Amino acid sequence: MNNIQREAERSDILTEVGKLIIPFIQVFAVYVIFNGHLSPGGGFAGGTILGASMILHRLIFGWDNLISRLTYERVMKWMCASLLIYGALKGYSFLTGGMHWEVWDIPLGTPGKLLSGGFILPLNIAVGIIVSITVYVFFKLFYEGTI
Amino acid sequence: MGHLITNYYETGAIILFGVGFVTLLAHGNLIKKIIGMNIMDTAVFLFFIAKGYISGSEAPIIRSVKSATGYINPVPTALMLTGIVVAVSITAFALALTIRVYEKYGTVDLNEIIKMGGE
Amino acid sequence: MYNSYPLIIILVLFISAFAIPLFKSIKMARIIGISAAGISLVLSILTLIGVKANGAYYFRVGHFDAPWGIEFHIGIIEGLMGVLFMTVSMAVLWFSIYSIDHDLSKKKVPLFYTLVNLLVGSLLGIVFSDDLFNCFVFIEISSIASCGIVVVKDKKENIKAALKYLILSSLGSGLVLMGIALVYSLTGHLNMAHIHEALVSIYPEHSRNMLIAIGLFTVGLGVKSAMFPLHTWLPDAHTYAPASSSALLSALVLKAYVILYIKIIHRVFGMSIVGDLPVLNIVLLLGAVGMIAGSVLAILQKNLKRMVAYSSVAQMGYVFFGIGLGTTMGLAAAIFQIFNHAFTKSALFLSAGSILEKTGKKNISDLKGIGKEMPFTMAIFTIGGMSLVGIPLLSGFNSKWNFAVAVIEAHRVELLAVVLISSLLNALYYFPVIINGYFGEESLEGKVYRNTERPLKELLPIIVLVLGVIYFGVSGGGLLSLIEAGIPALN
Repeated sequence: MNNIQREAERSDILTEVGKLIIPFIQVFAVYVIFNGHLSPGGGFAGGTILGASMILHRLIFGWDNLISRLTYERVMKWMCASLLIYGALKGYSFLTGGMHWEVWDIPLGTPGKLLSGGFILPLNIAVGIIVSITVYVFFKLFYEGTI
Repeated sequence: MGHLITNYYETGAIILFGVGFVTLLAHGNLIKKIIGMNIMDTAVFLFFIAKGYISGSEAPIIRSVKSATGYINPVPTALMLTGIVVAVSITAFALALTIRVYEKYGTVDLNEIIKMGGE
Repeated sequence: MYNSYPLIIILVLFISAFAIPLFKSIKMARIIGISAAGISLVLSILTLIGVKANGAYYFRVGHFDAPWGIEFHIGIIEGLMGVLFMTVSMAVLWFSIYSIDHDLSKKKVPLFYTLVNLLVGSLLGIVFSDDLFNCFVFIEISSIASCGIVVVKDKKENIKAALKYLILSSLGSGLVLMGIALVYSLTGHLNMAHIHEALVSIYPEHSRNMLIAIGLFTVGLGVKSAMFPLHTWLPDAHTYAPASSSALLSALVLKAYVILYIKIIHRVFGMSIVGDLPVLNIVLLLGAVGMIAGSVLAILQKNLKRMVAYSSVAQMGYVFFGIGLGTTMGLAAAIFQIFNHAFTKSALFLSAGSILEKTGKKNISDLKGIGKEMPFTMAIFTIGGMSLVGIPLLSGFNSKWNFAVAVIEAHRVELLAVVLISSLLNALYYFPVIINGYFGEESLEGKVYRNTERPLKELLPIIVLVLGVIYFGVSGGGLLSLIEAGIPALN
């Protein structure tokens, strides 16, 4: 109830600053996720930044905006799909490594370029999605009391 | 005594561990219990990371090629990253359960909840 | 080929767990959950056959060799545990088809199957893994999942019980992590075999550190596997959980931590170090006290499921008693007891849960004449109870016999009294339920034969478990010799 009252008094400063700042946060999050294999950062750090931007969006613009499309069910589907991709890729790598199978492996690319590092980039993307959703769901859980 | 001061990371970690342990066990308030749990976990993280730290060495991010002795041991740091994730999820789960307990019982004091009994 | 199966089992269970929420329907959840468990059961049997023929082996997970990468160590004991865990969880999942709707709202049923697959996968991870930190991660996953299957039933007692369980089990995992930190600081390794080598080479100088580390492991894993004075979370969690969850919690969850404890004593430290430290005597003492005190507490209970839950404390006391003896025969008896307890207690919990579900009666005093109303369910309960009391031709008798042999072999005949008193106490709380259920003129009056009985097809999963109890009772020697053959690989 308190939260809803607070949302009614949304201020112009917040909305304008939010419009300016949130895209930058999200681009930065994507940068961190995609450069995880080249520099410090990666799926976990980038996912947290992305989740924080979603929380900020939710706090500033409230429930009636883009975020309202992120219902619990839809978010959970994304998360489970990412977990499945993660499990399948990592499982493939574990299995072929453990059995000493010389089968197809993802091309390694040139070190230092964006497309390099084998499985690390796709795994980082999956982790980024999972972590951002988890952070957002935690926030929703404690802010609204329900999921 | 001298060992306690030279190994001050470990000493601090063990003191924190004790603080967390007692907070977790002695307090009836669920929120304080969860805080104690977090202090305890943090103490273990400090202990572990202190084990990997080598005085005067750099973080293991390779910019120019250096011999292995120039970097700290990255394994404990990586392990504790996992540990932090696990601790955060347990904390979130415990807090969510605490909210539900407060809704159902009207208190967060475990002793009072136990006194109310089941059924 | 079979050597990759343990990894595939864990992968199948984890991946299927996250495939379930993608489909909304309960039917799909059941199909995915049970078929994943079925595949895992077949693979675990194949692993056991392979291990039995060719001996224990290490399996490298991923591309890095042992001191840097993670390894699985699969011996006969681990293979047997894989088969045991998958058999029991398969039976419980089968039973849950008929019973879980009763306890949970429609929306929560797929979540239950997700959590069960996560739980069983992480427990098998604890059993198979040879890397201490990997074990810790699996421990944390399993403690979240096991709290989840308690709280999935949305009653206030469940939330209280789950919170209590979560707090105490995170206390336990904090202690285990501290133990791992100490071991890591002593040796610089996380792989059990490498830790063992390093520890043996530095043993006499650092014995105090090792004593602290093993003490932390004992208390931490003792909290999680309900060693006697640390069992306080168990009765609440096991009583209020849905029947299928209680069966899993007492049959599997407690056991995985015990197996990890056995691995820590025998693989990480080794008997040459542990034998010098006073730890095993304390474990023996706590086990013996637990065997008696758990039974005494069970006698005092009025609620049927709570009584069965306290009986778990006593039965876990046997396991710690066997470990504490420190002999090969004691360890074999403890592992046999793990089998006995897993089959018996899951059958008992499922039948007690059926009685509660069909009649709504929780208290033992209300259950007079239940043997006429639910003859088959009660027959299952009777066999389970008699097995724990130690009636011959049931697995509990063999288990107690092994303990007696182990005690005599260890030249500690005075401990035989503990085993005997504990069996006697078991009789004191199981027999009244059974006798009141079947006999007594006034208690049978007005009861209609098979009034509230489940259809026989819904009882089949419990009957499978009971057949296991009888099989290990009639021919327990085969299992025991298999366990004894597997114990050298633990060292």
